Amino acid sequence: MDQFEMLKAWAETNVETTMFYILATLAIPLAYGVILDKTIIRSGFILIGVFGSICGLFLLLQAQFLALAQLMIYAVGITLVIVIALMLTNPRMEKSQLSNATPANQLGAFMVAVGLFMTIYLSVRPENWTLSSEPLDVNNVEVLGRALTTDYSLPFEFASVLLLAALIGSIMLAKAEKPPKPGEDDYEYSVVEDGPISDDARHDREPAASKR
Amino acid sequence: MTSSTATNTQTPAQAMSYTLAYAIAVFFVVSAYATGNLDNFVQMVGLAPVLESWALKDYTELLAFILIVLLGSTVALLGGTTSIIMAVGTVGSFFALTLNQHPLIQYLTLAAVLFSIGLYGMVVSRNAVRVLMSIELMLNAVNINLVAFARYVDPVQVKGQLFAIFVITVAAAEAAVGLAIVLSIYRNTSTVDMERFNLLKW
Amino acid sequence: MRNGAEILKLGTLTLVWWCIIFGAVWAACYIVGILIPMALSSYESDAARMTAETCRALTPILSVLVFIPINAMFMVLFERRGLAIFTVRLGPNRVGPDGYLQTAADAVKLLFKEDITPRGADAFMFTLAPIVFFAPSIFGAMPLLAAVTNYHELFQIVNLPTGIFFILAASSVPVVGIVMGGWASNNKYSLVGGLRSAAQAISYEIPLVLSLVTVCLMAGTLDVVQIAKQQAGGILNWNIFGGGALRGLDTALALKFSNQPPALQELSQKSFDQVLKSSYVEPTMQAIGLGAGQEGLAGIIAAFAVVILIGSILIAYGLYMTGACAEINRIPFDLPEAESELVSGYNTEYSGIKFAIFFLAEFTNLFIVASIAAVMFLGGGDCPVPAWLGTMLGGPVIESMINQALTPLIQIKLVDPPTLFAAIWVILKVYGIVFFAVLIRGTLPRFRIDQLMDFGWKRLIPLSLIVFVLVVFAREFVNVHVGS
Repeated sequence: MDQFEMLKAWAETNVETTMFYILATLAIPLAYGVILDKTIIRSGFILIGVFGSICGLFLLLQAQFLALAQLMIYAVGITLVIVIALMLTNPRMEKSQLSNATPANQLGAFMVAVGLFMTIYLSVRPENWTLSSEPLDVNNVEVLGRALTTDYSLPFEFASVLLLAALIGSIMLAKAEKPPKPGEDDYEYSVVEDGPISDDARHDREPAASKR
Repeated sequence: MTSSTATNTQTPAQAMSYTLAYAIAVFFVVSAYATGNLDNFVQMVGLAPVLESWALKDYTELLAFILIVLLGSTVALLGGTTSIIMAVGTVGSFFALTLNQHPLIQYLTLAAVLFSIGLYGMVVSRNAVRVLMSIELMLNAVNINLVAFARYVDPVQVKGQLFAIFVITVAAAEAAVGLAIVLSIYRNTSTVDMERFNLLKW
Repeated sequence: MRNGAEILKLGTLTLVWWCIIFGAVWAACYIVGILIPMALSSYESDAARMTAETCRALTPILSVLVFIPINAMFMVLFERRGLAIFTVRLGPNRVGPDGYLQTAADAVKLLFKEDITPRGADAFMFTLAPIVFFAPSIFGAMPLLAAVTNYHELFQIVNLPTGIFFILAASSVPVVGIVMGGWASNNKYSLVGGLRSAAQAISYEIPLVLSLVTVCLMAGTLDVVQIAKQQAGGILNWNIFGGGALRGLDTALALKFSNQPPALQELSQKSFDQVLKSSYVEPTMQAIGLGAGQEGLAGIIAAFAVVILIGSILIAYGLYMTGACAEINRIPFDLPEAESELVSGYNTEYSGIKFAIFFLAEFTNLFIVASIAAVMFLGGGDCPVPAWLGTMLGGPVIESMINQALTPLIQIKLVDPPTLFAAIWVILKVYGIVFFAVLIRGTLPRFRIDQLMDFGWKRLIPLSLIVFVLVVFAREFVNVHVGS
């Protein structure tokens, strides 16, 4: 009996940490895969993995609604649009179409990135956070919905205006103005690309609306 | 690809063995830190007063971090596979920097790591779409921060989650417009190379 | 009826396969969820307790894992026989008794086929694609399982406060698998199929989600178990008929027709009007701020609002079915795998077990989409006969007779009557919708890609937004499920 209770107590305290480290070890190499993989379309798919593990982190943080929105909007919506854009701008599926940055530039960028990370870490670490020990309500969708429609209704409306503008703007930008030259056959794709791009913007509205 | 010129003379097997050795070394450093052996080592060698004089007494994890970075750059110069070394080193130093911390600091550190990776990718990439992907990565790192704050600092009103919703919204709009711009530029110039997007150069 | 005999055969086949499917699931759940923990409860050790707990916790996922392959086999056979009836053919009728085992033989064949990875394909992504396509459907089925089993304790643990949103998120992931498989196959047709699928799925997800959001607006919650619970008590309470707008009518009718002594008939006649008034006229008067003496106007407005609500939800149901058809790539939206244009699209290059997984997932998705419709619109495990009518027709008597007949089984917990009845209704509803999908497949031709996009963006999305706005306004005047 004691052992069982002990096991349970251990699980309650440590499962979260263990899961966190598993997801973190998944997310970091995948993030490197996104920026370093030679086949760029594959790095688009790897991005889905990063977003998936971040969705897992949100679930650990008991933000169910955000985790699912993350999965639906980022991992499926945005990333698919990115993958389609990659396929459209890289029609011959070349392995490495582009030249890489020079080693000196790479080193400089790396130093800047490490410096930024150290700055953040060293400012975060000794800070005395005013932590709250109150438990987070698992069903916090209602809190979110209430806040969005009362205190934050103005930003919410602005967000919808922004999305509408983005929708119209992206359709206008991506629309082919003139009929294609012979040999250039990306006209037939323009039907496809209008849909998903503008759609994403739309995508964001339903989660917000569903919270009423 | 790699920053060292020595790579060209290395066979893949040698590069792989260097990388593997590095991974094992990182594992040992992290486990030494986690079990407290690194502290003992610092005491034994006599580094403790030095650290104390720099007001870094409680910061043994920084020592582990520096160790991992130094090892990594050495192996990279010797001719390991740079990308794997970077990934392994990042995971190792992430472990070393967060193992004994409060969960909030763990999440913030992870977010910082992802943000820095996104920044590095944004600067290094030539493909415009990959730059956009790196930006998405950075926005997600910010989201992790916000949600972690909502969980540990403000669990009643969960304002962090609210802001994360707005960040997701803006990110969706940004991705849509950004990709549309990339597509229209591609239609005109038949390239997505950032180096050649210099139409407004002068 | 020229082919009445064939229809009869399809009916028997369906019954036999239902017995096989649900018998297997039932047996698995019973053994793992109840029998093993009961056997272990006599031991006092920690290991025994832990094993029992684990078994109970694993029951829902086990039941889904047992259910999916057998169900897919049945659905393929059902679809082929159904299509054969619509086109006046015989359909598969050689393997086993009258073709009952045709798909089992097909499954065996698929498992033993050589698993080929085409040259130039991205092998890792090529293998990952079927998994990404299939895995979400298991997760998506979980909250639905909790909703349709009528609060059985074993399945309650998989319920989530964000149930329907979780299901939607899970069901939006498979398209990633399609695009991934299409790209990794290194084949033009597959790639075009994958791209079409992405464009189509993302576009048609909007009307689908908006129609479900409309239902959630009526229910005031995202929890599928709650939504199913609110609709209990007969067809008038179901979401498809106004999302609780007819609840007042239901109560009034119940009062009127309940078996009361004749002396009280007069009273019930009076209370009929009163109930109608309190549930329709008064909320409307409150909403607009009408004073006393304007009941007539309020009644007209309330009736109008109820009609609008019912009409909107019926349209929302149609939108949901259309969007769902597109989401799971069925005819008339099967452009990603159009056999005659793309030689079956994204899964051209797949063979063997990977193809089997694609196939399995397709039919599982159809089943899940049908169960979402059953839970969100058609009342979940609820009997369509209104409760008062059931009482008049002698429902409780029949129920107690069944209960008595099953007493020994109930005692050993093999049968849980509420769950059993709920399960029977859910099965009837879900396979009814599946049959409807087969009927559509036998009837409609395929869209062209530009027609598809036009239809989605210029017709369905505006329509779903209009329905949403209508419902937002109309529900202010009527008591719906919210808060009840």
